[in-house]
Amino acid sequence: MFNIILDKELREIIGTTKFAVTFGVCAVLILLAFYVGARNYQVSRQEYEAAVAENIQQMEGLTDWGSIDHRIFLPPQPLATLVSGVSNDIGRTVNMQSRGELRTEGSRFNEDPLFAVFRYLDLEYIFAIILSLFAILFGYDAVNGEKERGTLGLTFANPVPRDQYILGKIVGSFVALIVPLMIPILIGCLMLPVLGVPMDMDSWLRLAMVILAGILYFGVFLTLSVFMSTLLQSSSASLMALLVVWIFAVLIIPRTSVLVAGRSVDVPSVDQIDYEKSRFAAQLWNERMTAMQKWMKANYNDDHRQMRDGMRTFSTEQQALQDEKMNTFVEQLNEQRANKSDLRTGVALSLARISPTASFSLAASDLAYTSMELRSSYVESANAYQQEYSAFMQSKNVDYWGRYRRHGGNDDVEEPDPIDTRELPVFSYQQPPISEAIKASLPDLGLLFMFNAIFFSGAFVRFLRYDL
Amino acid sequence: MNDETKSGIDIQSDSMAASQPRIEAVNLTKRYEDGTLALDNVSFGINPGSIFAMLGGNGAGKTTTINLFLNFIEPTSGEALVDGIVTHKEPLKAKERIAYVSENVMLYPNFTAIQNLDFFARLGGKHDYSKDDYRDVLLRVGLEEVAHGRRLKGYSKGMRQKCGIAIAILKDAPAILLDEPTSGLDPHAGLEFIQLLKDLRGEGKAILMSTHDIFRAKDVSDTIGIMNEGVLVMERSAAELEGENLEQLYVQYMAGYEGSELASVPESVPDSEQRVETND
Repeated sequence: MFNIILDKELREIIGTTKFAVTFGVCAVLILLAFYVGARNYQVSRQEYEAAVAENIQQMEGLTDWGSIDHRIFLPPQPLATLVSGVSNDIGRTVNMQSRGELRTEGSRFNEDPLFAVFRYLDLEYIFAIILSLFAILFGYDAVNGEKERGTLGLTFANPVPRDQYILGKIVGSFVALIVPLMIPILIGCLMLPVLGVPMDMDSWLRLAMVILAGILYFGVFLTLSVFMSTLLQSSSASLMALLVVWIFAVLIIPRTSVLVAGRSVDVPSVDQIDYEKSRFAAQLWNERMTAMQKWMKANYNDDHRQMRDGMRTFSTEQQALQDEKMNTFVEQLNEQRANKSDLRTGVALSLARISPTASFSLAASDLAYTSMELRSSYVESANAYQQEYSAFMQSKNVDYWGRYRRHGGNDDVEEPDPIDTRELPVFSYQQPPISEAIKASLPDLGLLFMFNAIFFSGAFVRFLRYDL
Repeated sequence: MNDETKSGIDIQSDSMAASQPRIEAVNLTKRYEDGTLALDNVSFGINPGSIFAMLGGNGAGKTTTINLFLNFIEPTSGEALVDGIVTHKEPLKAKERIAYVSENVMLYPNFTAIQNLDFFARLGGKHDYSKDDYRDVLLRVGLEEVAHGRRLKGYSKGMRQKCGIAIAILKDAPAILLDEPTSGLDPHAGLEFIQLLKDLRGEGKAILMSTHDIFRAKDVSDTIGIMNEGVLVMERSAAELEGENLEQLYVQYMAGYEGSELASVPESVPDSEQRVETND
């Protein structure tokens, strides 16, 4: 019986003009998303390579490592072509220095704000917005529509078990809608290497997981639609109810959760933190000046050489002491801000996850490695590189402040040779392994699975007692 | 079951006099959750090879009776039986023995007639029919061959009705339930349908038909029942109705008068008091 219902659903859905038109639109959009994404990747890759080359080029001919202006760049992520996440919002460039905090700057949207206005049409957007509507369009009248059309009565005049009917109905609708949609997605996947997106095994696995998350998300809206069609007597009422749910899930809940979190957890801005740091640095400077004056009064004598050496030693000690104080203060400030920021993020994401759309977006960006983790891991990589860079610069007699220490202090020596930029340590950003991406996405994949289970069970149980 | 029913069916099918009713209602009562009494202690029986026509106005309980046999709703008390199987206790087993044609047959509009027949035949447990079988049955119910391969969204109500009857024939069930089956059929198709019913009766089917069509009911039925406000107020065999004016009898029963008072039926019939609202 299940097979008969399944077969009927497949033929009924696929044979309609509504399906042909909707499928055609979705197929074009999906292929367009792959094409546009791949083109964007190529442009980003070219910009990245040009920036790296230009960075090296501007050092060529310099004779002093202390005068270089070294920058590192975040390479474009292959899967950002399909799930842009925050990859266009975070800074891709870091001005490298031997000490102090590193800041990211130069995001794509910062440079091309036009793209920030409407954002890109990527695969995640198509799943989140268009395919969820596609599921609603074909599921809202699954049961009550059959009752309204009179086919439900004729069907159940036959020995049809209700459980097998609703099972066949849900599975049939799911297969009839998702299998055809997989065709343009698979064609798009095959286009990626052809369009110059380097896809290694790791990237393919991530992409497969993103598509799996998309299928789960599609299932949420399909099972929800069937559930609504068993819950409400009229198909027009279920369509209205589903559109309201869709608006809340897709447009309102994710945005509201960020607003609520922002209101409930106060995180100081970067400017506020910078102000605090400047104020403390000024305070330390005054303390240092006061200490120097006291030292000079206490240690004044006519032996200038002795006094100068003593003052230099005292100043160096003071500098080390104040550096330590400053570092401790900055660490405390940063930690406090990071803790509050983490709390706010936690509150926002927990609230947002009421919506399956938020769960899908988070899972997809985790898997594509374009989530908020991208920024922190880039900063971590930059910090790790800073240590390497700092050691290198010291080996080249450049102090923490970037000042070249000349040996002997004699200006009559020959002009030094140009620096060899090949000696500079190379920054390479490595994506975390796929196991970490899967681990990060598991809670959201679990939520999507749970939404499916709840709505499927709701439709199933409700239909067992449905008034024919 | 009352004596009238027994005698009516006995007259029409002597050879089956000893057999059990194929379709049987025993004290069938349905009261909805809002308190509305839609069916009140209705009993009748239909033997193999017999047609029972239920007459009655809108809300009389005809469709409720059929829905109880189909287990679309459960009885408050009493039983609906098909071949001795209580429909609300063993609905799937009972439905194997029931074919059903609704008042307004609605099939899948994007399927052709043959695709619809194939789907419902398989639902009814018939998996061995060929396309030729489907064509034959569609021709038998009067649907021209040129329409067999067309999608149903272009069909008229009469054409859909013919498809519904074809589905019922294909199921080859011993019990047939017809809810206003001639609704939407033109006079010619109506006559063809009556002949078809007679053929099915000849094949030994027990047929329960609800209808507003008094003349066709009289023409084809072995027993006629009149329902009013959920009560089976009259049940007589065709032989007993011989020479009677069924239309006047119908009006009289619907107005609440007894058979003996036929001569005194007023020209204007008073409205029934506390008319029962049902889902019919």
